[in-house]
Amino acid sequence: MSFREKLLSGKFTVTAEISPPKGTDVSGMMKEARIIKDAVDAVCVTDNQRAIMRMSPLAACSALSQEGFETIMHLTCRDRNRLALQSELLGAAHLGIKNLLVMSGDYPTKGDHRGAKPVYDLDSVQLLDTISSLNSGIDLSGNSLEGKTEFFSGAVSNTQLTEVALMKLGKKIKAGARFIITQAVFDAGRFSEFMDKIRDAGWKQTGIIAGIIPLRSEKSAQFLNKNIPGVKVPDDMIRRFASSSAPGALGIELAADLINELRGICHGVHIMPIGTHENTRKILEMAGL
Amino acid sequence: MIISRLKEFKDILKAVKEQNIFIIGCGKCATKQHVGGEPQVLEMKKRLRGSGKNVVGWTILSSACIISSWDEVLSQNPEIEKAEALLVMSCGGGVSVLSANVKQLVYPALDTESLGGVCRDEVVKEQCGMCGECDIHLFGGLCPVSHCPKGMQNGPCGGSVEGKCEVDERKCVWDEIQKRLELLGRLEVLKDIHEPKDHSKRRCRE
Repeated sequence: MSFREKLLSGKFTVTAEISPPKGTDVSGMMKEARIIKDAVDAVCVTDNQRAIMRMSPLAACSALSQEGFETIMHLTCRDRNRLALQSELLGAAHLGIKNLLVMSGDYPTKGDHRGAKPVYDLDSVQLLDTISSLNSGIDLSGNSLEGKTEFFSGAVSNTQLTEVALMKLGKKIKAGARFIITQAVFDAGRFSEFMDKIRDAGWKQTGIIAGIIPLRSEKSAQFLNKNIPGVKVPDDMIRRFASSSAPGALGIELAADLINELRGICHGVHIMPIGTHENTRKILEMAGL
Repeated sequence: MIISRLKEFKDILKAVKEQNIFIIGCGKCATKQHVGGEPQVLEMKKRLRGSGKNVVGWTILSSACIISSWDEVLSQNPEIEKAEALLVMSCGGGVSVLSANVKQLVYPALDTESLGGVCRDEVVKEQCGMCGECDIHLFGGLCPVSHCPKGMQNGPCGGSVEGKCEVDERKCVWDEIQKRLELLGRLEVLKDIHEPKDHSKRRCRE
């Protein structure tokens, strides 16, 4: 069953993040992906994440699909204008990529090419709208396409939202986001408050997938709090890692417990490891997935 | 007002190869921001001389970007003829307008940053993104093109956390837009999806 079918049929989905290589050699990426093969419904392939230059997600998705992986291609608004975004999307459709995850993209000064021109010709709402248009066979200028796309698009969201951020999420859904992957969740109770907001807004048709970052140590938690906007590892959790004699095992246990709690609350989980996927399979097995 | 900042002196010195220099300051924006008024021009003269350059003269034009007669400027400042190069302490607009009128090479002493203003003697930066299709009223009078580093049209990006922008120390303008529209009782306008900007309006000449 495809990721789309599974999510639309109300089954709990599992996805995991994979980064394309910094270079031309995809063997490391393929090795990472093979660790989680059959444990996940799709691998989510990042697009110059944190503004660090890597192989294009289009090429990486293509390599992964040749090995039988279903992919979700990230597409940011940072590096391409509306011409480049649309031609990339037509190319992706031709290569058999079915799922997209759209986001604004971290600012260039956060990454390894600080002087790069930030594009942001479209924002994430406008890009989702553009994809909906390509799906109906029309480009952003109203021209008809020879062969239309059939993308299943999603967007991202923080879980602590101001009113204006919630309004933007509503626009993303209106513009065609069929699923939302959230920033990392550490507390199911607080995440429920986000789900209440989604329910109150009446966005029943949208699959909500909770982001999971399995922690490895006190240091990794501190790093996330300091460097990733929207991520807040609770202080009591940091203290547990600080006093633990086996922080690695604690991280696996906490992630599995969290996934178990989330199964009754949302529509899927998305694993974003720090470094490798070596623990992802263990976490999913422990969570009974 | 055009917002500019003074270049590092070492970079100016590295660029200017000529020996005989005439300095031109600007009486408008650059004076107001203390980057191209008389005190800064005199300081520049002192530093250039200290570095072995010959400053043949200097002047402050009432506005470097508005030249009604270059001949008049020349008759009032005959030393310009002796200069091999002009160092202009104004925004890029002034440097360009002057470059088109003089026979020497013109060097910029400032870097132009944004279109801003002055409010109660405080210089405010990045007030207008010069997009060529102003719809600032839809954002409570706060321009997202200029205030948001990503120019987001439909709301904050994921890098906006607790009112702070991910890019630098600035506040997220989207929180300010929300507050302003709440005060105006117009929060519902934020639900409208804004179309992509038409960049042909920004660059194309009629």
